[in-house]
Amino acid sequence: MGTDSAHTVKSYEQELTRLRALMTRMGGIVESQVAQAIAAVTEQDEQAAQAAPAQDAQVDALEREVETLSIRLLALRGPMASDLREIVAALKITGDLERIGDYASSIARRSRKFDLIDGNISLSGLSAMGRLVQDNLRRAIDAISQQDADRALEVWNSDREVDEYYTAMFRALVTYMMEDPRKITTCTHLLFIAKNLERIGDHATNIAERVYYAVTGATLPALRPRGGAALSDPDEVQLP
Amino acid sequence: MSAVVSLLAAALIPGGACGIFGWWLGRRGKPVEPRAALPSLLVSIPRARPEALVELLPVAAVLLRSEGGLSHANRAARMQFGESLGAVIRHPGVHAALERLAAEESIATTLELDVPVRRVVLASFQLVPAELFPPGEGENAEAHVLVILDDRSDAEAVDRMRADFVAHASHELRTPLASLVGFIETLRGPAADDPVAQQQFLAIMAAQAGRMQRLIDRLLYLSRVQRLEHTRPKSVVSVSDVVDRLMDETTFLMRDADASLTFPFSDEGIFFLGDEDQIVQVLLNLVENAVKYGGPGVDVTISLTVDADVLRFLIEDNGPGIEARHIPRLTERFYRIESHGTAQVSGTGLGLSIVKHIVDRHGGKLVIRSSVGRGTQCEVSLPLPG
Repeated sequence: MGTDSAHTVKSYEQELTRLRALMTRMGGIVESQVAQAIAAVTEQDEQAAQAAPAQDAQVDALEREVETLSIRLLALRGPMASDLREIVAALKITGDLERIGDYASSIARRSRKFDLIDGNISLSGLSAMGRLVQDNLRRAIDAISQQDADRALEVWNSDREVDEYYTAMFRALVTYMMEDPRKITTCTHLLFIAKNLERIGDHATNIAERVYYAVTGATLPALRPRGGAALSDPDEVQLP
Repeated sequence: MSAVVSLLAAALIPGGACGIFGWWLGRRGKPVEPRAALPSLLVSIPRARPEALVELLPVAAVLLRSEGGLSHANRAARMQFGESLGAVIRHPGVHAALERLAAEESIATTLELDVPVRRVVLASFQLVPAELFPPGEGENAEAHVLVILDDRSDAEAVDRMRADFVAHASHELRTPLASLVGFIETLRGPAADDPVAQQQFLAIMAAQAGRMQRLIDRLLYLSRVQRLEHTRPKSVVSVSDVVDRLMDETTFLMRDADASLTFPFSDEGIFFLGDEDQIVQVLLNLVENAVKYGGPGVDVTISLTVDADVLRFLIEDNGPGIEARHIPRLTERFYRIESHGTAQVSGTGLGLSIVKHIVDRHGGKLVIRSSVGRGTQCEVSLPLPG
């Protein structure tokens, strides 16, 4: 009997460890997709532009694996308290990660559709925004793998900066378009890219909220700190 | 690589107690610091776990479980990679290497990271057989993978800096250079016999040349900072030394600008790991900005708070403030706020970028808060040695 229950506890623990490992791995791939997407845009890196969408299948497969394992754990182990929260959070977090991967692929694909050379448009804003989003994502995934509520709170609080960045990019790009209609095509693509980055930031925040809930059992306020000139929706930016 | 593994194997004496050396990354996360007790424990325990030996390696090394989870990261790895360690280990390149890894061979692969600082790491993988890991109660022995992490960011950074420097220098220097060329042509031609105009033009030319010089100095400084960005500073710096130097260096600035600097500070003997010159530079840049953009008569206050593991410098001014839309972009290179008719201030557009890179290097954070009409607050937080 003693040996049996030890064994049960052991393999349950192993399955939880495996769940965490899968999540971390998925996070790592998504992180690299985002890095590639940003390199594809800001450095016009063709190879990176192809590499990011190529990893989609792997992310999808991992998402399914996490789902299967989570459901299995829920069904067979009857987890309680923090374990239960962690497993439910994992189910939701994989969804967020998968969306982030999709946005990254879409940015990478878009990077090949426009030409910057004759546009004479500065990309330094976009690449700085990209770094900010990458850093938030990195910390969100650190929070998952270390089950660290403080880290999660940090990410949750800094999404405001991403929103403000998006607003700033929006203004700058619209100004470019008004100056010179020949820049409209390129700027429109860049605007979508900025929007996608902003969405990636939102999903990183969602992940942070879920990790916070899984670790502490408490939920963060429904309204998170928003940037972008205190607008409820960053798209409501006034045109310059 | 194989030498490392045989070192591990040779030092494992069978039998006896084990497990004290597991400052593993526990399932709730944070690594427990090994502290100085390590060498004496090693002697007193008849059987050492591989983690203990990995801990002693002079190179950055981590032990991974076969499915990729972190089992142990040694001191060198924690020092060198700090915050980035998690991102290094979950890099897809690591997983790919683990899948290909067989007992007989070792694999090396290059991992690239963008955040928090740009890094290029050469990772070498070696399988460590299960026999070396005495299983805990009710566990099966599990093979681990030893990964040696060699930070190659330096060489890559040099290339990148060179490219960046050329791009930025050519872009930013073109305008002042064009105006210099224009004035030289005028001096040789139409103004050749007009001493009054000559003096006027020479004054403008001197100002432009001065601007170019400042810009080049700043660019060089920035590229030096960026080159060092991925090596955490290791020297012990006293906060009071930093403050003394800052006060010395700002005396003239304050007098010329009719500004005042207050620093309610009592020396409590606070020390942190850092690069003193760079930290002084950070504070100096922030104070200079406050004075430069704050207008005449601005009051600048620096305060210092110490929490359990964070040191915070707060530089506050009562100047005109910055609009929210500019704030996130302030640390971008060459980002300048177009001034609306008021005093035209000439900056290089590199100051805050330098600040950001230095703070990143120290594993710290820069937060800028501002409200128009009320003033600006810059907060630099630096981690204290735990």
